[in-house]
Amino acid sequence: MLTVCPYFHVHQPFRVKNYRVFDIGEDTEYFNDMSGTDVDNRFIVEKVANKSYRPTNKVLKELLDKHPEFRFNLSFSGTVLDQFEMYAPDVLESFQELVATGRVEILADTYHHSLAFFYSVPEFKRQVKQHERKIQKLFGVKPRVFRNTELSYRNDLAKWCEDNGYIGIMSEGWEKYLGWRSPNHLYRPPGCSKIKVLLKNYKLSDDVAFRFGNKEWADFPLSADTYANWINAHHGDGSTVNLFMDYESFGEHQWEDTGIFDFLRHLPEMVLRHPDSGFKTATETVQAYDTAGEYDVPDVLTWADTDRDLTAWTGNDIQQDAIAATYRMERDVMRTKNRHLIETWRKLQTSDHFYYMCTKWSNDGDVHAYFSPYKSPYDAYVNFMNALSDLQLRVKHVVDQKDREAEQADQSDQAARNTMTEEEIETQVARRVQQAMEKLAQTSATKPKKKAADTTNPSTAASDQPQPSFLGNLWSRVKKVFPVTPSK
Amino acid sequence: MKVLTFSWEFPPAKNGGLGVACYGLTRELLETGVEVLFVLPKTQETKGNATFLFADTERLQRLGEIGEVFYGPYSQSDTNVYSIIGYDATGKPILRARTILEEAHRFAHQAALIAQMETFDVIHAHDWTSYLAGVAAKIATGKKLVLHVHATSFDQAGGDNVDPSIFNIEHEAFMMADKIVTVSEYTRNIVVNKHGVDQDKVEVVHNGCDSHEPATLPPTLAALKAQGKKIVLYHGRISIQKGVDHFIRAARRVVDVDPSVVFVVSGSGDMLQQIMNQVGEMRLSQHVRFAGALWDEDRDRMYQSADLFVMPSVSEPFGLVPLEALQHGTPSVITKQSGVAEVLTHALKVDFWDVDQMANQILSALRYPAMRGQLVKEGRMQIAGFSWGTAAQKVKRLYQSLLQYATS
Repeated sequence: MLTVCPYFHVHQPFRVKNYRVFDIGEDTEYFNDMSGTDVDNRFIVEKVANKSYRPTNKVLKELLDKHPEFRFNLSFSGTVLDQFEMYAPDVLESFQELVATGRVEILADTYHHSLAFFYSVPEFKRQVKQHERKIQKLFGVKPRVFRNTELSYRNDLAKWCEDNGYIGIMSEGWEKYLGWRSPNHLYRPPGCSKIKVLLKNYKLSDDVAFRFGNKEWADFPLSADTYANWINAHHGDGSTVNLFMDYESFGEHQWEDTGIFDFLRHLPEMVLRHPDSGFKTATETVQAYDTAGEYDVPDVLTWADTDRDLTAWTGNDIQQDAIAATYRMERDVMRTKNRHLIETWRKLQTSDHFYYMCTKWSNDGDVHAYFSPYKSPYDAYVNFMNALSDLQLRVKHVVDQKDREAEQADQSDQAARNTMTEEEIETQVARRVQQAMEKLAQTSATKPKKKAADTTNPSTAASDQPQPSFLGNLWSRVKKVFPVTPSK
Repeated sequence: MKVLTFSWEFPPAKNGGLGVACYGLTRELLETGVEVLFVLPKTQETKGNATFLFADTERLQRLGEIGEVFYGPYSQSDTNVYSIIGYDATGKPILRARTILEEAHRFAHQAALIAQMETFDVIHAHDWTSYLAGVAAKIATGKKLVLHVHATSFDQAGGDNVDPSIFNIEHEAFMMADKIVTVSEYTRNIVVNKHGVDQDKVEVVHNGCDSHEPATLPPTLAALKAQGKKIVLYHGRISIQKGVDHFIRAARRVVDVDPSVVFVVSGSGDMLQQIMNQVGEMRLSQHVRFAGALWDEDRDRMYQSADLFVMPSVSEPFGLVPLEALQHGTPSVITKQSGVAEVLTHALKVDFWDVDQMANQILSALRYPAMRGQLVKEGRMQIAGFSWGTAAQKVKRLYQSLLQYATS
């Protein structure tokens, strides 16, 4: 038995418009270009919808209707779902129809297509949860297999996923870590006992994603027949062929005139000609097969370039500067508790912004190796940093105000203390502690669902419990203002 | 293979990019085994191993530079140059004023004589002041002619309002040439679209850049830097082609946001007075310093002390200055209307008319030191690859392609 596990990644970032130094402090909209060019997000979504999302979903729906054996996986960034809701609701509906067949699995992801895992695990976790809520709301399902931005992967990410209840995770099947072994098996990350890694068969995946329309390629033009034979040739060499690629390969990266839609339309039929071949979703794959050994990835592995690392996002000084400046804001941004500011900050974490600043191949004159809506990596950096500077100002404004309020509160406490007798102080402290306990009891009472979930998953239970920091903070404030021990 | 070359400039005389380019190309052509017979219009000191001829020795006319007379190829056709045509009884030189145009014709006349006397395989003439000389040598000998375009009348005019006598020389010489070399795609487009030359006749050979690790010099404008001022430098001729007026308008926009920025204008030219007036009108006297024309160490110190260099050219066939600035560790904002923008990735690029964006880029570069650092670091790596050797190889192949069909 050999099964194919296709997975298509759907993503669009919120591109930053031409945002000048003069706009800092004046303009709080960073993503609202309306020029009809490549930084106009609505324009891009509408363009790609016509070229890729609409026609591809039509073909995929036909295939699901025609072949009951056909299955595949999708992953969405939250940023693309937001843009579908705003600019192309019909596209979102067509995806919902696919998922409603029950044969299309959705994978877990970060909401903002970010590299947060490598910069702030707490922020990463918040984005994964936010993504989970969005998927639940739009599709009514809960993802069980994880894939990280740009297929970036490391041993500790697998461990995190296992600790957070995922049964599978996706990664690149790279010789450096595979050695002589086949990517067509499931593997176990070191230090994990349950989670399984699905490895991308990059040769077969890239035949479609990158080489399909290349007239220079020896195998051009590639027919579904030939390709199915290549897949079926793996019988005896593992159990699953994992074809991972950008969804936009269909119609956007490979244009309709390359014949990509005909190819897709005939592929399942050709694969299924072999009596022992089939399709499985990621969860089915994980549940069906055992692991064939350990896949040990101590350094970041991605699906990008020939280097398969993060250098396309964090390779040069401006990228490192921009990404460090972004995550340096975390504490202050979170302190604002302002949903809009936090969301804006997260939109700026999308990895595409840093990708546009890449200068990796530019010294060879191969500036077109990297697609970017900006004229140069430096234009991308300037727009991004100017927008980030504005956000920093807005965050600082809120944080400063909170600091001032806290100081005033301290001062009034201080003033009150000066006029109170010791007895009154003790009464007040006791009352505040009482109030705090009541509030605490209330918050835990209003989260019965969480409680229930906690019992099944001890690791989330620990972090979802009412924060001890709430009491801790209160106590430290109380002790600071009233240096007496309250009697119980 | 032997080439007869005509040009108006050659180092060590202090002049623009033409001399620098001629020197670099000649040196590397000699390396590849091409013999170079280099003809200059007047006797001067020279540098390197080419064989030099001076077109004034033919009639024992000695041209001398008198005071501040500007004797460069970028002058208007009616700019006067002075030549010493003899000496009076007391030994004082007798001067005669000529226009550049007359000089170019005299050069051509001498070129024909020289061409008939010398043996060579191909003719190569640099810029409009030498085109007539190249054409004359071709007529005199029937050898193939390569014209090398370092600038056109359109660049000089900063638009279509060209000097008709220069345009006519260009136009006629281009028709007579067997091949035309331009220093950029940008200039190739001008030659093809504005002069109407068949595009197959025009080839691009980007200029090289001699990389060297310049010595660290004592800083200049130390007092300003000590006050925490940031220095933005312009260095070049002050003429309509160079777009200094746009630079000053951008300065106004920059200073409105960040008053700690000081703009230094180094150079001289026919628009200097106008620019000074503009600075006054825009109330920028506190923020713009005129440094005069700086050379050698003074110029290098300024490059090293500046935080940012700006090349605001309206039309720049190549543009060597941002590369010089880079070698001294200073990044640049350059206009897209330049040849160097085609080859240098690591610079901020702007349309010359987009004053707002120019100001935005200046401010951004000053705000974000990480970007300045990277522009210099990666820019230097990139220009290490811009070699005159590569340019000379292309030119040599061009000669060979012409000789293949030559009868000799």
